[in-house]
Amino acid sequence: MRKFFGTSVVAISAAAMLALAGCGSGRDGDSDSGGEAAKGFAANSLIGVALPAKTSENWVLAGDLFSNGLKEAGFQADVQYAGASTTVADQQAQITAMTTKGAKVIVIGATDAAQLSTQVAAAHAAGAKVIAYDRLIKNTPDLDYYVAFDNFKVGQLQGQALLDGMKAKKPNGPYNIELFSGSPDDNNAGVFFDGAMSVLKPEIDKGTVVVASGQKEVKQTAIQGWKAEGAQARMDQLLTSTYGSKELDGVLSPNDTLARAILTSVKGAGKPTPVVTGQDSEVESVKSIVAGEQYMTINKDTRNLVKETINMVKALQAGDKPQVNDTKSYNNGSKVVDTYLLPPVAVTKANAAEAYASDPKLAPLTK
Amino acid sequence: MSRLKDLQKNLFGGTTSNARQFGMIFTLVAIVVLFQILTDGLTLRSDNLIALFQQNSYILILAIGMLMVIVAGHIDLSVGSVAAFAGILVAKSMTEWDLPWPAAIVFGLAIGAAIGAWQGFWVAYIGVPAFIVTLAGMLLFRGGNQFIGNAQSIPVPEGFREIGSGFLPEFGPNTGYNNATLLLGLAAALAVVWREIQARKTRRAMDADPAPMWISVLRMAIMVGVIAFAALRFASGRVGTSFPISGIILLVLVIAYSFYTRNTAGGRHIYAVGGNSRAAELSGVKLKRVNFFVMMNMSVLAALAGMIFVARSAASGPQDGNGWELDAIAAVFIGGAAVAGGIGTISGSIVGGLVMAVLNNGLQLMGVGTDRVQIIKGLVLLLAVAIDVYNKSQGRFSIIGSLMRPFRREDSAPPASPPDAEREPAKAAVSG
Amino acid sequence: MSDVPILLEMRSITKEFPGVKALSDVNLVVRAGEIHAICGENGAGKSTLMKVLSGVYPHGTYDGKIIYQGSESKFSDIRASENAGIVIIHQELALIPGMSIAENIFLGNEPRKRGAIDWKAANRMALDLMARVGLEEDPDTLIKDIGVGKQQLVEIAKAFAKDVKLLILDEPTAALNEADSKHLLDLLRGFRSRGITSIMISHKLNEIEAIADQITILRDGRTVETLDVKADGVDEDRIVRGMVGRELSSRFPDHTPKIGDVFFEVRNWNVRHPISAERQVCKNESFVVRRGEIVGFAGLMGAGRTELAMSVFGRSYGVYESGTIIKDGKEIVLKSVADAIDNGLAYVSEDRKAIGLNLLDDIKTSTVAAKLSKISHHGVLNEVEEYQAAEAYRKELRTKAPTVDESVSKLSGGNQQKVVLAKWMFTDPDLLILDEPTRGIDVGAKYEIYGIIQRLADQGKGVVVISSELPELIGLCDRIYTVFEGAITGEIARADATPENLMKQMTSTKKMATR
Repeated sequence: MRKFFGTSVVAISAAAMLALAGCGSGRDGDSDSGGEAAKGFAANSLIGVALPAKTSENWVLAGDLFSNGLKEAGFQADVQYAGASTTVADQQAQITAMTTKGAKVIVIGATDAAQLSTQVAAAHAAGAKVIAYDRLIKNTPDLDYYVAFDNFKVGQLQGQALLDGMKAKKPNGPYNIELFSGSPDDNNAGVFFDGAMSVLKPEIDKGTVVVASGQKEVKQTAIQGWKAEGAQARMDQLLTSTYGSKELDGVLSPNDTLARAILTSVKGAGKPTPVVTGQDSEVESVKSIVAGEQYMTINKDTRNLVKETINMVKALQAGDKPQVNDTKSYNNGSKVVDTYLLPPVAVTKANAAEAYASDPKLAPLTK
Repeated sequence: MSRLKDLQKNLFGGTTSNARQFGMIFTLVAIVVLFQILTDGLTLRSDNLIALFQQNSYILILAIGMLMVIVAGHIDLSVGSVAAFAGILVAKSMTEWDLPWPAAIVFGLAIGAAIGAWQGFWVAYIGVPAFIVTLAGMLLFRGGNQFIGNAQSIPVPEGFREIGSGFLPEFGPNTGYNNATLLLGLAAALAVVWREIQARKTRRAMDADPAPMWISVLRMAIMVGVIAFAALRFASGRVGTSFPISGIILLVLVIAYSFYTRNTAGGRHIYAVGGNSRAAELSGVKLKRVNFFVMMNMSVLAALAGMIFVARSAASGPQDGNGWELDAIAAVFIGGAAVAGGIGTISGSIVGGLVMAVLNNGLQLMGVGTDRVQIIKGLVLLLAVAIDVYNKSQGRFSIIGSLMRPFRREDSAPPASPPDAEREPAKAAVSG
Repeated sequence: MSDVPILLEMRSITKEFPGVKALSDVNLVVRAGEIHAICGENGAGKSTLMKVLSGVYPHGTYDGKIIYQGSESKFSDIRASENAGIVIIHQELALIPGMSIAENIFLGNEPRKRGAIDWKAANRMALDLMARVGLEEDPDTLIKDIGVGKQQLVEIAKAFAKDVKLLILDEPTAALNEADSKHLLDLLRGFRSRGITSIMISHKLNEIEAIADQITILRDGRTVETLDVKADGVDEDRIVRGMVGRELSSRFPDHTPKIGDVFFEVRNWNVRHPISAERQVCKNESFVVRRGEIVGFAGLMGAGRTELAMSVFGRSYGVYESGTIIKDGKEIVLKSVADAIDNGLAYVSEDRKAIGLNLLDDIKTSTVAAKLSKISHHGVLNEVEEYQAAEAYRKELRTKAPTVDESVSKLSGGNQQKVVLAKWMFTDPDLLILDEPTRGIDVGAKYEIYGIIQRLADQGKGVVVISSELPELIGLCDRIYTVFEGAITGEIARADATPENLMKQMTSTKKMATR
């Protein structure tokens, strides 16, 4: 019995070794990774698009535009959104799956811009080009391009509009304002805020503009997760603590969702409507602007952003170098990423009709 | 006929009850084969297998701890938050306090132990239900994560990233494969053979007939074949990639904890407490100590899982750990554990976790969106447990319960040895 | 009796489960207004027969006919049989502890007024029903605040609320003390005089003999015989013969005690209730046990015998106040169950399923559960030793199971009890405390368990037996302590023990040693 047993052990081990040796077909080297860009690839290749969870209409719109745009251009499109709860892990898995499927270009709208470097590296090593869409992916040398609106400019426009709006209402200062900024895990939130402060800071230093609550630090102004209820709660609290007798002239809000939450809070407290900035041109906010409540928003036409991204993909397919217009400003911690920046447009009641003329959803609202 | 019966009875273990575990393995194999076909062979391609293990090792590690918590009759809802809390502290310790990464790992485990002691104290010594304690912990440590990190992402250094995204090293002659992975596979194959021999010895010692020799050989051949296949797959990934380090950590834990739960007095006490705590107490089991241990152990594993995720993501972020508890709990229940406690196995939970992982991965490869993936996963969880409950109530062969303590009433026995440590978890369940 | 009309006739009932024929060609004739007892060992098919009758196994899942009130009945579920006036009261009471008596009586059957529950009417009707079963309580009292005996009465009142014609009681007195049992039996006699028919399943043969008019005996799923108690002059031995199919010359094995010296002593034992600290559950109790001696503890339900035993066994009950334990001349302090086991104590609890066994375990695992250290080396279990130990006890105690891999939940009560005994014998105890060791066990298995207890004593161990069945204590024990309201009230040697003098001391606080 034992003998037979011993024999079979040897036999099986030998078989296993044979199997190991026999199937030696070798492995893929990392030959097609690395720098030799721009050889192009087949026109019907797979293009992956990984977007964050469907939490705002903008991402849903972007996803639809990518699907249609890429298909029209002859590519196969694989557009994925992260799940509602396990966002980062989902996005990581999606990017890996796209890599496995052999996507030639992967466009990523990052959920958490700092947590994707491993997947980006793997994609890059497998020969895919990686384009960061709207949010700059940090700490990776393997990111190829970045496409976004000029977010510093967005902040500048918001700051300027806030000053203009208050001046139009009340020719002379000092003006009491409050500051809000976006989610601290979103790279862009800081950029918006810095842009706005580059305009506001001189006025604050001069004393013509006063942050009455004294809360000027990002730590104090940030709204976690861009959540409307967070902004509303903070505004409620500011009104109680600071604006019992004082008048609130303006609020710097980084986007429309927060702007509306702030307005709701102010209305609830029975205060006169201050000048409130915004961004994204959400339907409700455009209505609000036309009705004279929210003062301004930013039009960052997602169509243009997607169109530029697809243009980049097309260029890569043809083996050309995609067009970029900023090769200095965007350092992700590992390298300066070649960037294509699109200009944002400030929209107030005055220019709303003109700004949204080409937008089928928003144009009717301005009439 | 009798041969067929022999086969059925003996292939997946020595006794009839072991034939049941065939069901669960079969489900996993069926899903793998299904997706292998649906994705045109992408599922079993080496890069995908490697990614599958890397992506899911942290959930499977959580499932190990969760299985013990659930067997003891508790639940832990805080694992995701604990993982995130430990993750951010570890990341900070390296970037801001300049702790070297090995020390940071020890630090992370210590944090897990401290949190676990805190939760275990409330559960075991005060008697607050674990559901409440860990619900509180979920809020507490999520808040702690945000408080410490200011909801920012904190990058971690290269060395640390190895535990999440590293691979077995390349060395030796160019065989066209990763040599380390090949050796691992060979060790695993030898361990399987060794175990089979031990199992036969044990059966004889129990005055029971060991399975016919041809069945032993067939069983070994199947398992060695699977191991060889897996080893070749993992070894033939792109140069620089091979069997992931996180997979090694997982394997070591699976083997250590499987051994602990079924071959030691401490492990048996956990089942006793979950099966009937009063009876266990009157049999001399130190109830409080067992409850304290399972809760504390869970938090240590949660901290480890958190670190592995952070290492893989190269940064700790505010979203870390969101929803992990649900994935871990789902894996444990798909793996045949009972909600009321007392029933379940590590290997079952790992297979349960792999079923979910393969499903997730396969659907993603097919380009199915997360919305639909979630719907499908929800239905699979419900269906798996429902079929199990229905079959049990009918007194019939239970597919999922097939993994009910496969090792506890088994012929195998002898302590798994260190070389055993290199087996692949999917097969841990098959092994006799 | 043949002139009395037949209320129920079950004709050649056969019920099969996959692989098992639970009932085969069983006949039962119950006449109106009688008390009909059904006897049989565990597994004889009594409960299955009652489940067929009450519609738990609906018509079509069995063969045979049920003729009730003169016509064939085909009950599709319990509701259908209840609507016909057949109500079954199970051993495990189906009451909700957190609800009041009135709420329980009308659960699922609430009197309504315009859709809302009419609590006024409910309480009025509840009082009426409670009077009929002799229950004097406020209908708003919660079930958990009344004793088991009264809970049983609530169950019966609930049956009356459904307009019962045939009342089926499954082991109604199993959990009751002597006084409550007597009250219940009186009640059944009262029902008989009012023309209500009862079927009673019971293991307590003395009760059956005292109360039943007719007895149907089942064995292995078949009807053995139906006896008319008065006409046939039935006594307990006659019933036992029918049940086991042979003469049991004695209900206790012959035994000559070999009693040694005192080796275990508890002195001035005081323990308080775990929740309400003002209640003292053990009042200055002292007792001794000799080697080779079987010592009984008699007392009414709630007298504090279990509490005494468990508090001695590693303080597993209540809050220890004072008292010493002396074993082999040395004082020992047992702060935990583990201490108690290490010091050679074993406690077999009264409730096998709730606290004695883990029903998820197999025989093997259960057998070694209380002393894993015996089969482990450096904390690692040796499965071979585990198997061998379990197998040895299975053979020694003649536990009926195919292998030691069998789940304990599949065993009968008697065999489960053997596994529990094996579990504690495995710990090599010097003192075994057995709490109600034969509760819910049939006659044949009881005999075997008595034999095991005697063998253990003969090995020089001390055995303490707590039992509510006085004949059992008198038949088995060498010496009996009586306990009343947390105090030991007497100590009676075997020769002097009669049910009467035990009963007297079990119900009085006066201490009178008659040794």
